Amino acid sequence: MTTSAPAHETDAERRHEHRFQVSESIARLVMRTTANNLPLSRDDRPYQWSTTTYCDTVSWSIFRAAQKGSAMQLRIREYHRTRPREVLNPGTAWIEFKDDEQDTSLKERFGVPMDVARSFLRGEAALPEPDHGLAERATVLLREGARPVAVTQYNRLAYNSLDSSLRITADHNLMYFALPWETRGDSDAEPSPLGSLLAMEPDVIVEMKWYGELPHWAVDLHAYLKESTREERPSKFIVAMRWLLGETDGTKKTKKK
Amino acid sequence: MKAIEDAVRSDAPATRVVVVEDDQASADVLQRRLQANGMVVSVAHDGRRGIELVEELLPDLVLLDVMLPDTDGYDVCLRIKSNTSTSPIPVIFLSARGEVVDKVRGLSCGAADYITKPFQAAELLARIDAVLGQARNPRVPRLGRPIERAPGERLVARVAIADPALSEHVKQLLASRFDLADADETPDVVIVEGNAAIPADVAEDVAVIRVSAGRAGSDGSEVIPVDAQLPRIVDLLVRERSLDHDLQAAAEALIVLASAIGSHDRPGAGHGERVASRAVQIGRSLGLDESTRMTIRLGSLLRDVGNARLPAAILTKSGELSPEERAMLERHPILGEEILSGFKRLSGLLPIVRHHHERLDGTGYPDGLRAEQIPLEVRIVTVADRFEALLADRADRPAVSEPEAVRILQSAVARGELDAAVVAALATQVRSGGTR
Repeated sequence: MTTSAPAHETDAERRHEHRFQVSESIARLVMRTTANNLPLSRDDRPYQWSTTTYCDTVSWSIFRAAQKGSAMQLRIREYHRTRPREVLNPGTAWIEFKDDEQDTSLKERFGVPMDVARSFLRGEAALPEPDHGLAERATVLLREGARPVAVTQYNRLAYNSLDSSLRITADHNLMYFALPWETRGDSDAEPSPLGSLLAMEPDVIVEMKWYGELPHWAVDLHAYLKESTREERPSKFIVAMRWLLGETDGTKKTKKK
Repeated sequence: MKAIEDAVRSDAPATRVVVVEDDQASADVLQRRLQANGMVVSVAHDGRRGIELVEELLPDLVLLDVMLPDTDGYDVCLRIKSNTSTSPIPVIFLSARGEVVDKVRGLSCGAADYITKPFQAAELLARIDAVLGQARNPRVPRLGRPIERAPGERLVARVAIADPALSEHVKQLLASRFDLADADETPDVVIVEGNAAIPADVAEDVAVIRVSAGRAGSDGSEVIPVDAQLPRIVDLLVRERSLDHDLQAAAEALIVLASAIGSHDRPGAGHGERVASRAVQIGRSLGLDESTRMTIRLGSLLRDVGNARLPAAILTKSGELSPEERAMLERHPILGEEILSGFKRLSGLLPIVRHHHERLDGTGYPDGLRAEQIPLEVRIVTVADRFEALLADRADRPAVSEPEAVRILQSAVARGELDAAVVAALATQVRSGGTR
């Protein structure tokens, strides 16, 4: 097992987070405006594949709490140049804790080798220097039996202000997958193959995340997105879980006027 | 803050590329471009050296020019693809020859892609990524392999060859893998010469292998030459025969017991076969390999074999079972495991037989296992069993449609009983009108 110290990123405070489901052409206009005002994120290779593996318990306690408007997601994120057909692959894994509320979120994450991430999921490894108490809450969830259950994959284009106060992303080719429950004794060295494709988003998911006040151009952009969005979007986690449990077609039917 | 790209670079193993390109300037540009993207590059300027480098380094990828000074790229590609140690390595042609026939020829030689010069570096990198992505390895099965033989147990061979010199030679060869039979010992295999008669005291179920001091006959007869390979070949043949015996016995037991069970309580004839077929379909959609799917199939067919040891009155009772009767019925997985435990070759099925009524939330029987304790194969059979049961009329409720059955199983997922991914795979099949 690797013993190197993990990379650690954390939000300084709770930040606003709004999601919009828009057409490809609207997304193009939005990202063109964004590119005129923000630099490409240094940490995200353009259009790289993001694979996010979400955890929940047998009784779906995380999902149920998220539906009520407040929950902490426990997830593993991986980045690849081509789309992997398996998850929890060797390489760097980002263990992420995200505390969602109605309009805001708080995120903390640790970049570690995958074997450390797997060990953490089994409750055998602790993470150093946790902020906000999120890691402790995650440990409780793991003790209650939280395990990987669903996966999203998408191409992300990300723009970040230099002071990280504003981040705008566009997620293309978003797919939701089931993930069979892990069995004790499954080889830790083996990545887990994706289960069935639950759904593919035909549109683009644009997300705006910011601290404090938005700059004027971003206020206008936000208004344009609200006007152009097809659906008010719940988080990817909620959409994935709805698909997984067959509860709806995955989206909230609150069509914008 | 640690950049993601840096993290990926630092942890992922570097891609190793061999470039076979006779033009020095082109090779230099290509090498720098690939190295700038984190790849480790070795360059050869002719075909012979290119093949040497590939065999020596076993790289992740070969980039191959078509026009080379000593041979052509097609030849180099075919040589790479003809060598078992290098054949899995993907090859991409880079060539100024852009005619369709050139591309078709290159691809027919086994190349993964063909890129025409001049090319954009971004396109080359994207194609390299795509080719490397397709070259990944398949996965492995999940349940433990069946037990083949007890540790240290050696097979017993009897050599029944009249020629003393040949007999002694064969005994010496076999001694490395076999115990030689004493006069009163029953052997696993008997070795005879050519078309010689089989000794009269050899039982019918003992393997007989015919050998020859010369080369194997060209007339199609199964005569094994006596050489250093003999022990290995005999061992394989005996194992194969043993496997056939076991499977035959298992199949016979399967037919007898499954028909006995089918005559009791199941909703219509062929329920077991439908469950097996459905479970195999789910296994296939979850990417399980053929061997695992076979385990699932046999496990599905035999899952209720323990019912054969229960009183028929319980199995055929139409009213509600008493607590005692319920407890007895819930012993059928344990009884099934007991019945099958004598079949070594069926040991891989036992978890399915014992645990197919377990639930992820721990409320199932007989052991109250929880999610991570239940193998995937078992969870698949459980879902297939419940789904097929819902499609049949029963005394206490009518049959439901396939979409309605999926909805009922999704409710069971929401209650924490079934694996969501397994039910999702089933739902996908039903939506797409998957047939058995």
